Amino acid sequence: MTPSLHFRSVGQPVRRNEDERLITGKGRFTDDFSLPGQAWGVMVRSPYPHALIQGIDVSAALEAEGVLGVYTGADLAADGIGEIPHNPVPSTQFDLKLTGRGGTPVYIGEHYLLPQDRVRHVGEAVAMVVAETRQLAQTAAELVMVDYEALPFVTDTSAAAEPDAPRLWDALPDNVLVDSWHGDRENTEAAFARAAHVISMRYHLHRVTGVPLEPRASLGHFDVETGRYTLWAGSGGAVRQKQELAKVLGIEPARVRVISLDVGGNFGTRNRAFVEFGLVMYASKKLGRPVKFRADRSEAFLTDYQGRDLVVEVALALDADGKFLALRSDNLSNIGSRCVSLSPLSKGSGLITGSYDIPYATLRSRAVYSNTMSTQAYRSSGRPEVTFAIERLVDKAARALGYDRLELRRRNLVRPEQMPYVNAVGSQYDSGEYEKNMDRVLELADFAGSAARKAEALARGKLYGVGFSNYVESSIGTPKERADLIVRPEGVEVVIGTQPAGQGHETSFAQVTADLLGVPFETVKITLGDTDVVTAGGGTHSGRSMRHASAVIFLATADLVEKGKALAGEKLGVAPAAVEFADGVFRTADTNITLDWFDLARIAAERGETLMVRRDNEMHTPVFPNGACVCEIEIDPDTGGLEIKRYTTVDDVGRCINPMIVHGQTHGGIAQGVGQALWEGCVIDPETGQPLAAAFTEYGMPRFDNLPSFVTEIAEVISPTNPLGVKAGGEGGTTPAPAVITSALEDALAEFGPPDISMPFNPFKIWSAIQTGRKAAKLERAA
Amino acid sequence: MSLLTLTVNGAEVSREADDSTLLVEFLREHLGLTGSHVGCDTTQCGCCVVHIDGVSAKSCTVLAAQAGARKVTTIEGLAGGDALHPVQRAFREHHGLQCGFCTPGMIMAAAELIATYDGKLDEHAVREEMEGNLCRCTGYHNIVRAILAAAEEINGPDRVVRPASGHAPGHAPVEETA
Amino acid sequence: MYPFAYHRPRTLAEARNLFQGGADATFLSGGHTLLPALKQRLAAPSDLIDLTGVPEMRGLSREGSTLRIGAAMTHAEVAASPVVREAIPALAGLAGSIADRHVRHRGTIGGSTANNDPAADYPSAVLGLGATVVTDRREIPADDFFTGLYETAREPGEILIRIDFPIPDSAAYAKFRSPASRFPIVGVFVSRAGGRARVAVTGAGASGVFRPAAFEAALSADFRPDAIADLAVAPGDLLSDLNGSGEYRAHLIKILCARAVARPGEIQSFK
Repeated sequence: MTPSLHFRSVGQPVRRNEDERLITGKGRFTDDFSLPGQAWGVMVRSPYPHALIQGIDVSAALEAEGVLGVYTGADLAADGIGEIPHNPVPSTQFDLKLTGRGGTPVYIGEHYLLPQDRVRHVGEAVAMVVAETRQLAQTAAELVMVDYEALPFVTDTSAAAEPDAPRLWDALPDNVLVDSWHGDRENTEAAFARAAHVISMRYHLHRVTGVPLEPRASLGHFDVETGRYTLWAGSGGAVRQKQELAKVLGIEPARVRVISLDVGGNFGTRNRAFVEFGLVMYASKKLGRPVKFRADRSEAFLTDYQGRDLVVEVALALDADGKFLALRSDNLSNIGSRCVSLSPLSKGSGLITGSYDIPYATLRSRAVYSNTMSTQAYRSSGRPEVTFAIERLVDKAARALGYDRLELRRRNLVRPEQMPYVNAVGSQYDSGEYEKNMDRVLELADFAGSAARKAEALARGKLYGVGFSNYVESSIGTPKERADLIVRPEGVEVVIGTQPAGQGHETSFAQVTADLLGVPFETVKITLGDTDVVTAGGGTHSGRSMRHASAVIFLATADLVEKGKALAGEKLGVAPAAVEFADGVFRTADTNITLDWFDLARIAAERGETLMVRRDNEMHTPVFPNGACVCEIEIDPDTGGLEIKRYTTVDDVGRCINPMIVHGQTHGGIAQGVGQALWEGCVIDPETGQPLAAAFTEYGMPRFDNLPSFVTEIAEVISPTNPLGVKAGGEGGTTPAPAVITSALEDALAEFGPPDISMPFNPFKIWSAIQTGRKAAKLERAA
Repeated sequence: MSLLTLTVNGAEVSREADDSTLLVEFLREHLGLTGSHVGCDTTQCGCCVVHIDGVSAKSCTVLAAQAGARKVTTIEGLAGGDALHPVQRAFREHHGLQCGFCTPGMIMAAAELIATYDGKLDEHAVREEMEGNLCRCTGYHNIVRAILAAAEEINGPDRVVRPASGHAPGHAPVEETA
Repeated sequence: MYPFAYHRPRTLAEARNLFQGGADATFLSGGHTLLPALKQRLAAPSDLIDLTGVPEMRGLSREGSTLRIGAAMTHAEVAASPVVREAIPALAGLAGSIADRHVRHRGTIGGSTANNDPAADYPSAVLGLGATVVTDRREIPADDFFTGLYETAREPGEILIRIDFPIPDSAAYAKFRSPASRFPIVGVFVSRAGGRARVAVTGAGASGVFRPAAFEAALSADFRPDAIADLAVAPGDLLSDLNGSGEYRAHLIKILCARAVARPGEIQSFK
């Protein structure tokens, strides 16, 4: 039976179920949990970017007031504690296949909870001190003496890829762990050879960090009687972390329970286990007491998994009419000191041609180790980087060849009739109306009126820029998901393995379930995040959640309806096949007796049974959200100060379950992308290898007063790839943002030529670019 | 160690605590009021905002001892009884929260702003006055709307200018009338 | 933080005694500079002496041509005070532009002045108005008070009680804020009294707040924005960091000074 898609709740801006506890201070974030007798763990962290550990003297720390234990890598090794199995190489059917040089397997530097041999980035934990209070543990941590022997280090992405760069892992001849080629080299080279024009650029999309406002935390408890560990830790997927931590501890997963209830923002930073998760579990067993850890914000800045950091060398071949013929790209991803995830490189690689019909492409994808914190997926993993590359390249081509930048795009967009469209590196775009997005965003943004607004600003002595960007991005994600659909007399419960950190699953999944089952929205409750209840699931990342959840709930509904028909048939004295189900009601053709789900649940309960199904689903097919955006900025040339005056987007998210939630995701995504362009950056001092932005005083953030209100519109081109036609709505705000801001900046500074400055475009850099441009213009006039 | 006595959410409480106990630690760990959150170390994020004698303050940068004999109100005490404060209701109505971590401090800051702002609150004023609260999830757009809606309910439409344009929580952009 | 004992004396004498009696005591006012430092474990005082309960530290009044502001007055109180707004509106405006409203509810003028953070706003007003810092021992002219980066003439145990501002004919403050810290990258306070101009620059000086003499001379002769058009502060004397080079700061000093001169009585905060 195929559930009918009769939507009452889906598509509505239903207000959220989550909010009641969150607006009254009853949220359940990790640090809100405390256990009697709990002790506190504090980490001892390396001040060096690269150093041998010659010895760790914990004797003074052990004697400090209130200290219960001090643990090092040697202690863990002696107890057989293993590495974290990050499993970083993306491996769904449609992920681009990344390999080491010459097709060899990717070498993944092992990630023990605490290292024994050396430290490989500033902030790497080398020991944990556990004491009665956090304050006492901090004081004792200062007494741990680590004998470091400093080693040469490398932090810069390109420098790390050089053959003679300081090496992080002895098993590799250099730091390059991934070096694979994709696309069609022969035809690409032929296209470049016959091209009328070749435009090339080189960029470094710099490193940023996710900054979820809840600093990471973990509370570990080992129960001697049951032999089980319980870990409270905000994560991107409690089920995954349970499996991984069980392996680390060398035990059966059934002996681990992970509880991730309210999570204060994720954006990718929490998608992999942190060493403190395993450490508090380990220490709680050693000490026979619960152990808690909470990161300072400075620790979070230094040692959260970070994002982006891609060097791109890209070239576009065009014919004499401005048709794109081929693309060449060399993408170098700085994955930090350990390989935790290759998602950014892989996902970006699949989208290098962007929204444009480019028949041939060649891509070299490389990943490099460096003495920096490990990077991992961060909001729209990999896609802002490659969107930036193609969109900047198209603008450059337009300027160089005298085309209108919008016309050049229109001429080359993938057309709806080409869908599903296989791009030059093998990604199959499922659906989308790219030119319609462009038309609509230009209308919504009043692009036609921008010239007047620019003139008005110039008259006030300001500079003014209008930026444009298309984007297409991909949502893949862990392919498996499971739903338990349980109907009880008092309501419906759905147990599912996604892991929201603000996306509103308790509401949007309830909307889907309510409409598929035909029950009121208020009767549906969503259960998440406790692995003793959630037995399987893929977590939340890559925009996967609604697509996978709605698909598995759809399938579970079909199964449940069959069960319902059987129960109803027994009650009504007919064969199940004679029972009809529609709009939440079971009936037979020849009586007017109806039974709803709660009637059936009561019937089941009378028998001592529960009306429920468990359904697993596996989907590998990716989907491709897409859209376009326009922004307008005003610059004070005397200070370099930049203000965003207008920001407008159109986002095709496939079927939109809750537009209020999707708009909110777009707003937040825009802020993060704009943040990278204007304020954010993990700056490292090249002389010392020290990170310089470890506090909000140094790491600029999107704030109330540096962002405008947005105009965002949702387009729904239903995807043919899943039952509800969902694409994803969580990351489209971020994907084009760095590109559109840069596009606006180049427009504002057009009289000086494209500015040679890198993001983040802070006032100092903008002012400097204007000075440089003015001097050059003077020289030109003088010449 | 000292005996610290404060009034919190209308009730006098006394606890033995180190003098170096921050107010936010006192609330969270000694009183079990975990609604106020710690999000940073440099007094910038605002997740810890409470009211001390009706005035907003970052409780991570106030010693519990400094609040001795003062009246502290936390998110748990903002509304009376079962009803929600208009700011709380507005945050839900206008989707002014996603993960919820910044939300208690945000609501407390907004409530105090609305109660004390002299003049007409408009989008610009809200954005300037709320600078001390960070949000990583919402991009601030809906929080601005929530605050202005609550201000209108509390202070009346003459003291508020609602945003000129923006989105109703539906599909298409809607021109909101002031 | 490292542990300490907290005291809240009700008189100056009590405060002084507590200071003498402590192994390594320090004074606390609004706490929004000291407590963040203690949270970073940058210092380990034995005793914190909260001065905000001492009556002499509070209060705000105009006496003739002098505005007297108690050291424990918060930024919010100074910003909202009708007395300050009437006498020196730029001072009220500066106070209202510090940090954010929650910080302004706690941070105090005494605390800010005594700390002399090179990027704080208040030192530029204290120096730019030629104020007098009144302690429990003496009165120190602003020109003698700020002696270097985070350094002042205040001696250990000396308590800053009040700051007396001579009321100028006009004053203005213009600043450009760092996108991250929100502190001024450069802040320029300009005042004019009896035909003489004073200019004080914060956020930029390698040794903290300073007065560019050439700017003052030019503006004293001709109080117009153009008067400083051909002048420059040497970039080498200025801070250079991620927020900007010495050249950038030198340029901002001119721009902001001109903007302040153009709008007497106002606070202008740019970003």
